[in-house]
Parts: sequence; structure tokens; C-alpha cells
Amino acid sequence: MGLTMLSATAHAADPFRPEAGKFPPLEKAHSYRGELVFVDHANRRGSLRVTSPGIFRFTAPHPFALLPYAIVRYHGAPADLRDIPLGTMLHARAFLPPDPKTSAVPVLPVNNREKTKAGALGVAPAENHVLLLEDEPSHCQREGFAWKLKEVEIKDRAGTILASREAKQDVKTKPVDETLTFDASTRVWRGRECLRIEHLIAEGIWPAEGKKALGGQSVQIGITWRPTPGGVFGRFHLSDIWLDEEAMQNATQHQTELHKTFIRSRWMPAWVDSVEYGKFGRATVTATLFGGMDPTLYADFKTSIAALMNSAENTLKHTEGGTAGPTQMAARGKLIEVRGNLFLPQIQGSPQIKADKKSAGLPESVGNQNSVNPPLGSSGIQIRFETDLITEGMRPTRIVKVRPASWPDVHLPREEYLGNGASSIDERFPTPAIFPTY
Amino acid sequence: MSHASLHYSSTPMPRVCLLLACCLISSAFTHAADEPFRPEAGKFPPLEKAHSYRGELVFVDHANRRGSIRVQGSGMFFRNDPHPFALLPYATVRYHGAPADLRDIPLGTVLHVRAFLPPDPKTSAVPVLPVDNKSKDANHNRGTGIAPAENHVMLLEDEPSHCQREGLIWKLKELEIKNHEGILIATREPKQGGDAKATEEKMTFDAATRLWRGREQLSIEELIAEGAWPAEGKKSFGGQSVLLGVTWKPTPDGIFTRFHISDIWLDDASMQRAAKNQTETHKAFIRSRWMAAWIDAVEYGKFGRATITATLFGGMDDSLYADFKKGAPAMMNAVENTLKHTHGAYGPAHMASRGTLLDATKLPGSAPLGSSGIQIKFETDLIIEGIRPGRVVRVRPTSWPQVQVPREEYLQGDLEERFPSPDIFPKY
Repeated sequence: MGLTMLSATAHAADPFRPEAGKFPPLEKAHSYRGELVFVDHANRRGSLRVTSPGIFRFTAPHPFALLPYAIVRYHGAPADLRDIPLGTMLHARAFLPPDPKTSAVPVLPVNNREKTKAGALGVAPAENHVLLLEDEPSHCQREGFAWKLKEVEIKDRAGTILASREAKQDVKTKPVDETLTFDASTRVWRGRECLRIEHLIAEGIWPAEGKKALGGQSVQIGITWRPTPGGVFGRFHLSDIWLDEEAMQNATQHQTELHKTFIRSRWMPAWVDSVEYGKFGRATVTATLFGGMDPTLYADFKTSIAALMNSAENTLKHTEGGTAGPTQMAARGKLIEVRGNLFLPQIQGSPQIKADKKSAGLPESVGNQNSVNPPLGSSGIQIRFETDLITEGMRPTRIVKVRPASWPDVHLPREEYLGNGASSIDERFPTPAIFPTY
Repeated sequence: MSHASLHYSSTPMPRVCLLLACCLISSAFTHAADEPFRPEAGKFPPLEKAHSYRGELVFVDHANRRGSIRVQGSGMFFRNDPHPFALLPYATVRYHGAPADLRDIPLGTVLHVRAFLPPDPKTSAVPVLPVDNKSKDANHNRGTGIAPAENHVMLLEDEPSHCQREGLIWKLKELEIKNHEGILIATREPKQGGDAKATEEKMTFDAATRLWRGREQLSIEELIAEGAWPAEGKKSFGGQSVLLGVTWKPTPDGIFTRFHISDIWLDDASMQRAAKNQTETHKAFIRSRWMAAWIDAVEYGKFGRATITATLFGGMDDSLYADFKKGAPAMMNAVENTLKHTHGAYGPAHMASRGTLLDATKLPGSAPLGSSGIQIKFETDLIIEGIRPGRVVRVRPTSWPQVQVPREEYLQGDLEERFPSPDIFPKY
């Protein structure tokens, strides 16, 4: 009994790691922010320079990997890593590696975020498997923030802006002022227009030189980082200012269209919940579609339509077929059921669907019963796919990609599939060795 | 001894010597002719010796000035492995018709490349390939030329930059559209005079394609709403002149190579605005990282004093070069071929040689690509190691801001940081 209790205590002390087949709760994630410094989009990983109270420029780039069901947002819309320009400041919510043995990024001591590196605390957290990655406008939209511009100081089309990020609904918390730089390359978006600082000066909106109070003008901003003088530990730079809703919506719409095309060509990722085997290769596969995509993509998953399903790795690379395309070896069949598509899936914090719509009896891991908000990572939509020839890789908790037959049948580029049969183990499980150690 | 025998015995030696001399000279010429061309330190290589190709930017390691391009060959484009490349220290990169750094170019952009063999295979940051690799068939219907050994890039430019430099323009012929996407047929022709025999190229577009007109960024949907484009069906354009941003998206089976339009600049004003944005971005970048150059000569004085002659690298905005004025105080720091500053933790200024620009002169004649044509004479009271003929340096007029560069852009002494290994590139 003592041994059992000891074991239970030890187990309780184990740090939380996401488990296969379960979407991890967002509240258990570690949050941090950083500059996107390196991208290996084909392997869904990169590096962030993580902020801290210390000297930002000293901070070495910190490798991260996207969980298979991670949500990436850019300009308030679904995105892939490849869409985000280097230098963009991003907000991350991340976990410890689910499986340290196959981690595509270095595995660090579990308490690494409590350690100081190059004089900065918490800049190399062990929580480097990201569930949510969003740029500033996306973060603000999801959290209900807006930036209020207080004052500008300008000379030669460059200078500083004093602004604060304020919650639209919460009027009690005192916002903190932040000084950000801008320069002649800062883009200013107004309606359809793409302007520069010199245009604001020419129009008399900003002075050519000196200070001007901006009266708390509400905007959305894109944030990057530029080298700062010695003595300035952490100060960020404005890449973009969206002056009005129309401008922000144009940016969102563009990114949405980009991502829709991307998903239609790479197929919708999902994981397998269960498999019911029939005879001679027949099977019915139940799978949950991953979340964070545009609703029109999910709307294409309808009962009775023809579809294809292919196994994928945690990097979402298609297996099999390779040079002949993902369709060649994919299991073909039809969707015999689509559950949870009575309502559109939502990103947390977006406008909510009416509470009288229910989740059609889906398991909690997919979408809470009687709730409209599936866990982050899940679309809340579960499909049942019947095929006459199941392929290896379609097993519970494994990742798959699904394509309604109405989506285009296209060939993927070399770095986005695993070479048929002859691929090296490094393609399936990319080594963290590519990341330099500083 | 007879005259004949005497005659026979007196001529063989000179003949043998002559024959030997001819063989040696011939061997030297043959050896020189057989040796493939490689850029040499201290000399800007002639552009006409570069190998040209085009491809999609697939990977970027901007801190080490290298990346990968999927090179267009004669076969199935999607099957082509990403091909590693490294920028030469004096490489010119252009995006939207303006100077750029690798970090400014979005992944997926189709780029035009002029490249050479590695100057020094031993320290190459990208894989060194057999010299004749561009002639090899890559099999699996990929065709030849998709992995050239000429992977050290001198000139890297996107489509608008390439067109502007070559005096070309795209002429739209026809489109076919449905649901905000479709095919555009266009030809790339000389801006002056056109070319009636220009080959038509089909490219796709979709709802994410951006159209630029004056100050405006438009979508396909907006053009349809304005009546400029039909919602569905075909439309003839009559050769409307535009500039295009070209990328690649996966194509259906049977389509070996077809590119995609990311952007259409409908008028000069919009293209100039894009160029201006990029120019300002790059100017801020160079001012914070300092101007790259190489050392032509060093005249040593006493107790560490020296006068250094250096040539500034080319391809930057003119206003940057204008800051190099005679009599202006300046700093010079040694860098590696990746242009990373040495001794960086306290900032590049900490260990840099300080002094004065004694002169900044425009060299006669037109500057070869890679060179600005501007040579500076810099006098310092304490020269540092690394500032030696043929080596690369960075120079900052003190009118430029003194800022500290981020960790991955300076060297801390590790050999791997100085000479990045090509091992990060996957082998397919």
C-alpha cells in the first residue's frame, strides 16, 4: 500500500505533457512572447527570441515545434508558419514535449523557464511544443484588446509612439503604457490604402517633427523588433498600423484566402479516434478534424460525399504516395457521418454562437457536450469515414489528413512528403541537431 | 664519325628541350582551361561567367545568408528537392525592385539567380557538388539542371526586380476565371519595342492574389465588383502592361511546371510605392548592421596605426553611400563571409577600429556587380585582426545609429559559428 501511495505521489508530481488523442487544456500551457527568428516550415518548427526583463538582443533564438493540432494565426486569420514574416513578434502558448524521444526540437530540463540565461530569466522554457501561435493583431482580437495611441514623437520620418494595449471590456485594469519605435518603412493601412509615415505627414495628420498627442486613437498594430541602442533592454518596433476596421478586415480576408488554398492542397489534418475493421481491408474510421481553420473548409465535410484519407506524421507530412502524390496510396471511401457540423467551430474569444445549439453528443475530447466551444486544437467536428481498403497508419491517436473529393487533387512539393518507403528516419522524425547551440 | 652521325648526335637535345617546353606550356594552358571558374577573394567575379537559373524560395537561414531554392528544370517541378544556396558576401539581393536581405523575401517567392561555384569548397556553408552537376539528369522525371554546383549566389532577384533590371514587362493577354480564381495568360517582353514572338505563359491566380493600384491594395473580388474583371468566363486584356509577383502552388497531375501569381502591380505608382517600402526597410537594416566592404590594402603605421583602403559592396540605396564623406568619423569591424560581426556581445562598436574617413572616391568606369564602385580610405589609431587584404569588413559612419545586433548575427568564437556547416540541409 505504501508503494502504491508513493507511486501515486510520484505520478502526481510528473509535469504535464500532452497525450496522444487528447487536446491539452489551454490553461496548462506556458505563455510567452518572442520574435520569430527562424522558420523550418516543412517540419513545422522554428525559433523565437523570447522576451524577458533582461537584455533582449542577448537572448539566443529558442527552438519551438508546433503540435500537430496547433493553431497559428496571422492578421486575425488562420495561417501556416510559412506565412509569417521573420521578425514578427508572436504570442505563444506551449507545453512540454509530448514525447521527448521523438522531439524535433531540443528537450530541455523541465524547470528551464526558471533559469537565467545570458542574464535573462525564462528565455529558454522547456515548454517548446506550441498549441497556439499568434501575432499581435490576432492576439488582440482573440483577447478583446485594442491599442490606444497616446503620443507620437517624430523626426525624419522616424521616432517613437507611446501607446497602451487596453481591454475593450475591462475598464478597471489600468493599462500600461509602452514605447514603440517606428520609421519610414512602417506601413500604415487605411481602408484599401497602404500608406507610409510621409503620407500621414503630407496629409497633416502627423507632424513632420516634434510631438503630438494622439488622444487614445484606437488601432491594431503589427510588432517586430529592431536593434536598439545599448541601455535599451527591450523595446519593440511597429511594422504596421491598421487605422480602421476595414483595413484590418482586408488583411484578415487576404490571409484567410491564402490559408484556405493551402489547406485544400495539403488536406485537412485530423486524428483517428477509433477504427472498426471489416473484412478484406474494409474499415470505418472515426476521426476528429483539427481546429482553427476557416469555417468554409469544414463546411465541405458533408455526409455521403466521397473522400480520401491518408496517414501523416506529427509534422503533418503525407506518407506514402510521395512522388505520385498523396492520392495514390490514400484510402478512398465516403463520409458516412459528420457530427458537430451543425454549428461553426470558433476560436476562443471570437463572437460566440448562440448557446441553444448543442454539440450533438460528441465526446468531451472533441467538443464538450452541451457546449459550443471545443477545446483549442479541435474543430469540434467528428467524421466517420468508410473505406474498402484501410492503410497502415490509420490507427487510434495517429494523425491523418482528409480530403473531400471536391477539393483539388494536386501534387505536393518534395519537402512536404515522406519519400515512399525509402525515406530516412530523419524525415519522419526530424532531428533537433539543426538548431545551433549558443 | 661521319657527318651524318655527327649531325644526328647534335640535334636531339634541343629538339627534346623544345618538345618538353611545348608540352609544359600546353599542360599549363589545358589545366587553366579545365579548371572551373571560381570567384577569388578580392575580385568581383564577372557576371557573364555566372550560371543562371530560377526557382522557388523554400528555406531561409538569414543569419547565415543561405537558404534553399527549388530550381526549375525540364521535368516535374514539385519533385525537385530544395537546392541549398549561399550568398556571396557581396551578393546583391533585390525584392520589389529595391535592395533587400534574404529575411525580407517571403517563402514561396520565385527568384532569379546568378551563381558560381563555391570560392572555397572547404569552408562552404552549403553542400559542395560535382562541378558538372547541372548537366546531370536527376531522374524520376525531374530533368536536368535542378541541382547545379553553382550554388554561391551573386545576384538574387524576384520577378519585378528582374524585369526592371532587364527592361522587361509582363503583358496580360487573357484570363479565365471562376469563383475568384483561374488562369492568366501573359508574355514577358522588352518594355521598349515589345516582342511579337514572346512565348505565352499560363499562370494561376486565386482569391489571395493581391492587386496593387496607386495607393490601393485590391482583391480579385473588388476588381469584379468594379466591373474590371468578369465574375466568370474569359476576358481579353489586349496586352495590358503590368508587373507580376510570381510564386508556386501545387499543381494537378500532368502539369509539370506552372507558376502562380501572388501580386499584380497595375501601374508604375504602385510598383514605386512597393520599391520605396522595401528601400526604407533595407536602409534601416544596413544602418543597424553597417555597410559591408572588403579590404584592398593596409598601410601600417606605428603602435597600431594604419590606413586602410576598402571597397564598399554594391546594391544598396544611394543615400547610404552618400553618408560616407571625406573627413567623417567612422568605425570598421572585421566580419566573416556571412557578414556576422566578430566580437558582438557588447555590440559591434565595442571592438571596432575607430578613426576617420580620409577619402571616399568613386572609381573610374562602371562598377562590376557586387561593387559599389566606391573606395574609402580609413585611418585608425588601432587596427584590429581581421582587417587584412581580401577580408570582409563592415563600416559605419558615426552618423548612423549605434545599436546592438541580435545574438544570431554576431560571432562569439565558436568555429561552427564562423563557418556554418552544410549539415543542416536535409538529404532527400
